[in-house]
Amino acid sequence: MENLMAFAKKESDQVELYSLEQTANRIEFEAAKLNDIQSTIESGVTMRLIKDHKLGFAYTRNLQDGESLVRNALASLKGGVEARFDFPASVNPPGIRAYDERIKEARNTVIVDECRRIYSRLEGKTKGQIDVTALTGANRIGIMNSAGADLSAMNSYYSITVNILYPGTATGIHRTLVSKAFQSVDDGFLEGIVELYNSGAKELNVRGGKMPAVFMPESMYALIWRLQSATSGESLYHKQSPLAGRLGETIFEEKLTIVNDPLDDTKPGARIFDDEGVTCTKFPIIDRGVLKNFYYDLCYASKMGTAPTGHGFKTSRWSGETISMRPSCALEHLTIEPGDTEFWQLVRSVERGIIVCGTLGAHSGNIPNGDFSIGLSPGLFVEKGAIVGRIKDAMIAGNIYEVLKRVRGIENRVHPAYTGYYPAVLFDDISVATEN
Amino acid sequence: MVEKLWSILNKVTAEYADIRHETKNETRIALNGKELTELGSNATDGYVLRVLHKGGFSSVAFTTYDDHEKAIATATENAHLMSRFTTQPVVFATTQVVKDHYVPLLDEDPRKVTMDEKLQLTRKYNAIALDHDKIATTNIAYVETTREKNFVSTEGSEIHEELMTARISGLITSREGNLIQNIRVAAGGSHGFAILRDREDDFERKMRIAVELLTAQPIKGGRSNVIVNQSMGGVFTHEAFGHFSEADIIENNRSMRQKMQIGAMLGSEIVSITDDPTLPNQLGHYRYDDEGVAACRSSLLKDGMLVGRLHSRRTAAAFQEPVNGHCVAEDYRYGPIIRMGTIFIEPGKDTFDGLLDRLGDGFYILDAKGGQTSGENFTFGAQYGYEVKNGKVGAMVRDINISGNLYNTLKNIVAVGDDLRLGQVGGCGKGQMNIRSCHGSPHLIISNLVIGGV
Repeated sequence: MENLMAFAKKESDQVELYSLEQTANRIEFEAAKLNDIQSTIESGVTMRLIKDHKLGFAYTRNLQDGESLVRNALASLKGGVEARFDFPASVNPPGIRAYDERIKEARNTVIVDECRRIYSRLEGKTKGQIDVTALTGANRIGIMNSAGADLSAMNSYYSITVNILYPGTATGIHRTLVSKAFQSVDDGFLEGIVELYNSGAKELNVRGGKMPAVFMPESMYALIWRLQSATSGESLYHKQSPLAGRLGETIFEEKLTIVNDPLDDTKPGARIFDDEGVTCTKFPIIDRGVLKNFYYDLCYASKMGTAPTGHGFKTSRWSGETISMRPSCALEHLTIEPGDTEFWQLVRSVERGIIVCGTLGAHSGNIPNGDFSIGLSPGLFVEKGAIVGRIKDAMIAGNIYEVLKRVRGIENRVHPAYTGYYPAVLFDDISVATEN
Repeated sequence: MVEKLWSILNKVTAEYADIRHETKNETRIALNGKELTELGSNATDGYVLRVLHKGGFSSVAFTTYDDHEKAIATATENAHLMSRFTTQPVVFATTQVVKDHYVPLLDEDPRKVTMDEKLQLTRKYNAIALDHDKIATTNIAYVETTREKNFVSTEGSEIHEELMTARISGLITSREGNLIQNIRVAAGGSHGFAILRDREDDFERKMRIAVELLTAQPIKGGRSNVIVNQSMGGVFTHEAFGHFSEADIIENNRSMRQKMQIGAMLGSEIVSITDDPTLPNQLGHYRYDDEGVAACRSSLLKDGMLVGRLHSRRTAAAFQEPVNGHCVAEDYRYGPIIRMGTIFIEPGKDTFDGLLDRLGDGFYILDAKGGQTSGENFTFGAQYGYEVKNGKVGAMVRDINISGNLYNTLKNIVAVGDDLRLGQVGGCGKGQMNIRSCHGSPHLIISNLVIGGV
């Protein structure tokens, strides 16, 4: 890497090398049957060059052919992509422990045994099909740049998702456990899924209209996605954010506090620097309903004349090849702070309403505007404080800038979910369209 | 490369193994508003090794030749583990041993077009999309992907196939005060660069729709009879029906498998659905899948009756149905899974004007904006639509999502147009992103559809 850096430096003003090595395993059980085991062993390098305020970008899997990498980056430089930023100098970020040596013990045989144990614990407790998916892996990220940064971070992760499907559907109740190393799920975790599943066993035709809705942690991303879009420095720069000029304003119910905390190393994926080598910090987005911050990578911070916030990550909403991605503004470590209400207490407070356990089509609709219009997959129906079944064919719709002002209650703990760690949240007056 | 692949395969101790090496070249040019944000070409490569041993089957993807022995050990260990715990040993359906070198004919090879010309064309379309004071920004990108694949199996197959995909596509965003609207625009295909030329009208038309959306009314939620255009019909065909035709989706779900039995009447008698990757000059075209099986035209739904489904070698054997070459990987990072190639509703007899007359009152809903299914249920966004009154297309409506149940909706297709059109860009995210996923449909009338407005 040092040779590559030296070679590229001769041709440019600034150089950055990002390297990634990772191994990953995925084990799938479907309907109590071991269905698939897939493994990945991969490595690669990305190079960014800056010369005369223009950016060059290239990547490769072939670390022996550094010359091609530099040649492609120089060719890219000729395109004239503007870069009015500097790669950051080395800093002394706070120490965190994102890698757990015990991940090595999470061999596929151990995980297969755990999946089989889960089936034995759930046997006879539900009639639904049970699917279990486990992921495990470790990676090492390195960032070296011409300003002197030479950073390296190791991460380990383990996750297991248990999903119980309703008959005739691929829709079910699921929950995920995540950790930095192998961890057995406890009976409480499994019983929670079974209790919710069994309470929705009966399929119901329900009259639509406006009603309270509990968004389960697994559904909150549909709303948070819109907020991620609106608070991105990129959206702000391109005049796509409805929150432009509203920093410091109360935009949501004061019960809501939303924080991006990459330093929390009790969870897998903690980071002390982003994918551009900028130091990460605990970063409030919404504090008791007040809009506190927009988040930036190097590029959009320079365009907006502000400091980068450590949110430049090589990521995408859809699958992508990490080394081929450019860093972009991203919130990778979101948490909604828990409230003070136990989950079943939230349910008991609903006279007539729904529980959004999963969503369909959260990616469609007008995301920049904050609109959502999504299918329930599944949605449970609550009458007089008790779940009485699941709703047949229903959609909910709204706009987050109205809905997030109507928070009635927040669960007193968070759960890992897609895009972050969220509690269940009870909202008033959600518009529900059904067959009736 | 073939010799190198044999040198790896020869070290595997198993009943069956295959290995695929791919070199992927990607050229990207991206504009965000007036600014160029990306430009470059890069090549990456890697291997996927699959091992079948005593009924246990597993795959490993690796990116460095030096890791091949580690990969062999991992794949073998995983296959043994699968073998130990599987309740249904994996068997592969038999297929012909193939030795072939296939490079599809291209109408202008994009690799021979200079980067500067690609940039100028992308800039031209982007400028058209930006040419209105109500347009806030654009995200328009040129993306060209070529995959050179070499496949070798212990049965003796040796296949080289090249796949090329090119597109200029993206998002046009309009804004009036706090109201933000956007519309997708796309031109592309897998048969050459020529399809990207002379598309100015498409970009201008989409820009005008983005502006018009600022004054459109949100659609009212509820139930309605609708005409869906070819893009929406194609997404329905792909998302709601097509994924259920993929054997791996239903194989372990007993109740879904019962519903999807060959011979079951699933839809209206006027609906027939086919998947055909062999159709030349279409986005979804390929000759061999990533198991080395020749792609076949597959009739899936015939006059409303289920008559076929899409298979890998493994599922074809498990279902005791014919193998048809539909097991495809995104690239060298993945083992192949069952995918659609080019799926479409066969055209009917009704003209578009005839469909409008028949609809009377309802909505005309156009251009898909993302879709998702969960079992029988689906939700799709539409980019825009129009009210229809007395068979006449009226005011534009926005913020449209439709939702429903596959089986009910297949039965509620009451008319099929004569104007089949296939999509030019794809993006199916079933675990892996398939940019060559092609779907289409004629215009359709669907009765009693759930519409979720905002």
